[in-house]
Amino acid sequence: MSDAHLAVRIKDGDNEAEAEVCRRMAPRIRLYGLRHLRSAAAADDLVQQVLLKMIEALRAGRLREPDKLAQFALGTCRMTVVDLRRTARRQEKLLAEFGPDLIPDPPPLPRLDDAQLARCVQSLKERERSVVVLTFYDEQTAAETAAFLGISEANVRVIRHRAIRELRACMESAA
Amino acid sequence: MTIPAGRVPVNCAQPIEPAVLMDYWLAALPPETEATVEEHLMGCDRCGDRLREIIALAEGLRTLSRSGSLQVVLTDQFVKHAGGAGQRVRQYAPPAGGSVQCTVAADDDLLVGRLAADLSGAARVDLSWCNEQGVEFLRMADIPVQADTGMVVCQQSITIAKASSSNTLIARLVAVDPEGAERLLGEYAFHHTRTIPGPGIAFPPS
Repeated sequence: MSDAHLAVRIKDGDNEAEAEVCRRMAPRIRLYGLRHLRSAAAADDLVQQVLLKMIEALRAGRLREPDKLAQFALGTCRMTVVDLRRTARRQEKLLAEFGPDLIPDPPPLPRLDDAQLARCVQSLKERERSVVVLTFYDEQTAAETAAFLGISEANVRVIRHRAIRELRACMESAA
Repeated sequence: MTIPAGRVPVNCAQPIEPAVLMDYWLAALPPETEATVEEHLMGCDRCGDRLREIIALAEGLRTLSRSGSLQVVLTDQFVKHAGGAGQRVRQYAPPAGGSVQCTVAADDDLLVGRLAADLSGAARVDLSWCNEQGVEFLRMADIPVQADTGMVVCQQSITIAKASSSNTLIARLVAVDPEGAERLLGEYAFHHTRTIPGPGIAFPPS
């Protein structure tokens, strides 16, 4: 069923359509939350709040273009993250009010073979390994890593891209 | 390198490149490209799955980077940062041509060697690891160096150090010119005494 069809059915009071929107959108909203809030718990909170706002708006027929449900979800994510950062107290109140029943279990992250990853990282060239460790130890920016290593920011990005490409190939060949 | 927003496909039939997804996860994209990526992800579960793979890789690399188990050339600032973040860093700095007695404790997190040398004028520097007889068993070729620091900061694998029996390691910093000729910049001996209970395993290979 299309996003537009779901939006129309929710406006008409269809509970199954609401559940389907939650199933469809929750994993996407959670990824957005992981990226911007850097915490699984905070990402789960974001999913709850965004879905609540979306369902409320859809029931009230406030989505003028039903085929733009994904854009509506993204816009709600952006506003909610701003709100979350601004008013943590309000977030707690909302969560206390609505509870965790709304969201489905999130898809798990793929499992990695840690020993193989260590072998793959150790097989990188020295500069690539240094950039990988400096980048991922504390999620440093390219500018910070560049300052550490005394090379240009652009060079750090090139080395990092090459290292990631080689690591993925190494992990896939072992799998 | 800047990735133009136009390089991010707007429909699910064209997946987003892994490098772009990793830059997205690292918050390294320009704002307009990030917005395009997010619009794509909000409508494309296939790329959401790919992003989950990228996140798993990034998380694995973060864990590995913090484990102290990698042999890698780092920086003085990194070591200070790790210490400030609460990691127990054990460091040794033998003088060039000299040696140092060293050990590692069970609760150490990182093991770092500081090798002082005149690095000026060296286009390429290799770090050679040798056993007690001076036989090379590992060469870290073309390591990143900052000549003005006069120092190479190298993390040794804490995992191997904790597991190994008492031994001697010799590190050699070598300048390599474009024709392949080598010039010794410094040699450093690490006499490791095992203090963790148990006999440990033989390292390095004889």
